[in-house]
Formats: sequence, C-alpha cells, structure tokens
Amino acid sequence: MGKPEIVDFEKLFETIKSFDVLIDIVGVDYLGMENHAGKRFGVIYHFKNTKTMERRSLKVEIGEGEEIPTLSKIYPIADWLEREVWDQFGVVFSGHHNLKRLLNHAEFEGHPLRKDYPAKKRQELSENDNMLDQLEKRLETIGYKVI
Amino acid sequence: MQNEKSGFFAGKLDELVSWGRLHSLWPFPYGTACCAIEFMSTESSRYDLSRLGSEFVRFTPRQADVLAVSGTITFKQAPILKRIYEQMMEPKWVIAMGACACSGGFYDCYCTVPGIDAIIPVDIYIGGCPSRPEAFFDAMLELQEKVKNQSYMEERKKKLEEQWENLKSLTLKNYLKQ
Repeated sequence: MGKPEIVDFEKLFETIKSFDVLIDIVGVDYLGMENHAGKRFGVIYHFKNTKTMERRSLKVEIGEGEEIPTLSKIYPIADWLEREVWDQFGVVFSGHHNLKRLLNHAEFEGHPLRKDYPAKKRQELSENDNMLDQLEKRLETIGYKVI
Repeated sequence: MQNEKSGFFAGKLDELVSWGRLHSLWPFPYGTACCAIEFMSTESSRYDLSRLGSEFVRFTPRQADVLAVSGTITFKQAPILKRIYEQMMEPKWVIAMGACACSGGFYDCYCTVPGIDAIIPVDIYIGGCPSRPEAFFDAMLELQEKVKNQSYMEERKKKLEEQWENLKSLTLKNYLKQ
C-alpha cells in the first residue's frame, strides 16, 4: 500500500465513496519525533474496494484537543476501531454514540500509548464494569427481553 | 510429620484426612495464555496427571482444591481471578504456573499484574516460559508434600477457639451495645 497520503477530513470523506470496506484505523503519536512538522496525532485509515481489489491508506492529522468526525455511521466496524483509538491515544471522535474504553479497564486514567504516559505506571481495577451493555441493547432491538 | 502432642487417635485422624486430601487434589484450570496448553498436555494421556490423583479438572471453583493459574493476568482480569479464589472451598491451594503468573514475565508494562501474589496468596511457583509438564508434576509433588504436613486437627482447633472467643464476647451487654 505504501506510505499513507496525508489528507484533511473533507478529502477523506470524498474518497470513501469508491471504497466499500474499512479495514483498520490506526493512531500515531508524534510527540518528540524529529523532523515532524505536522500536528501531534495522526489517524490512519485503511480502505479496500472489494470489486477492483484496490487498497488505499489515508492519514488525517489532528492536534491535541481537536476532534475528528466519526465514520461509524457509514462503516459499523468503525465503532470499535474508533473506541480503541480513543482509549489508547485520546483522539476524540465527535458524533460517536458510545465512546468508552475498549481495551483498558473502566477505572483507567489517561491514555497509555501517548508518548508522555509513563510506560510502567500501573493502575488497579477494584470492580469489573458491565461489558454487555451494547449487546443487551442489540438483543432488545431484535426482540429478546434482557432480565 | 504429625504433631506428637495431639495423641494417638487425633494423630491417626490427621494422617487419614491429609492422606485423603493429597491423593485427590482437583485442579481448577485458570488458563489465559500458552501455559494453559502445557497444562492440557499435563492432563492428557501422555503425561497423565491423574496418576497423582488429580483425576478431574473441575470447571467450577466450588468443587476444586487447587487453583492452577496458567497465563498472563492483566489488571482487567484481576477482579475475576480474585472472585474465583474467594468462591473456592477451604482447604484451597494456588499454583502460579509460568513466568507471567509468577512475576508478570516480560510484560513489564502498564496493563499486566506483576505476579498474581499481588492479588491472592500463592503456595507453589513454577518457572519457565511456558513451563513443561514435568515442571508441573514437580510442583504437584511438592504441593502433596505440603498438604501432608498440614494438620487437620490443628486447623479445627483454631477455628473452634475462634468460635469460642466470638461466643464469649457475645454477652448481653455487648449485644445491646451493637
């Protein structure tokens, strides 16, 4: 696929139309990187067209405190991918219906894959949170009754 | 081996109980990583853990004696492990299998528990990444030795004394104070 092309979100939204599959969303933190002129975070989207088998990767750069529109209304898979990127990097996806932690636990503070997070700082969890909230909602829409 | 003060009948009862315990240590497999594969191999016919009397692997903590923690434990997993340990009946023992369960292993990072002894008490540690079935056998034999030296009558005596102290403190005055 080669190097990802740096675009803004409007350009990304246009190119979406020719790609039907979103493969992955990856976050990058450029804090302290030499020869980097852009903003602090990068969000890389990988797309695929299943008819022509063409793949494309696009990078959107955003700074700290900025927000990026969600793609979860177009690609349902983006729901969890965006949750993971928010969990690990703190990139906020505006318009996401349930932006909560996916990999780290509920009592975790901070975002561990940021360069300024101390890598060995451990945080304990006292009680498990309910991980079935989304599943229960889906079951109720199908017609099951959640007790 | 046994307490000589406990007398003939109590000593023999002790021996009988610990003999029964050490030849029927039923493990609960808490497998989260590659050590669990080695544990399966230990259980299956080539190595055959049932030669030591660990005949059944129980998948409910209420019927198990030995909690075999084989694999990496993250902080997200830790409350589950602790609850399972609390659900097990007394007497209970814990085996930490492999480097991850003993010390966190090479996962020296923000999400991994640095050894399960930060959460629950551990009786036997096994090294290795992952540990071989022979190492698990060695740990089981060591655990059997440990069980053999535990006195059932003394545990019973301690519990009765605790109950007696509780009963003595339960006078009408204390009761009304509560």
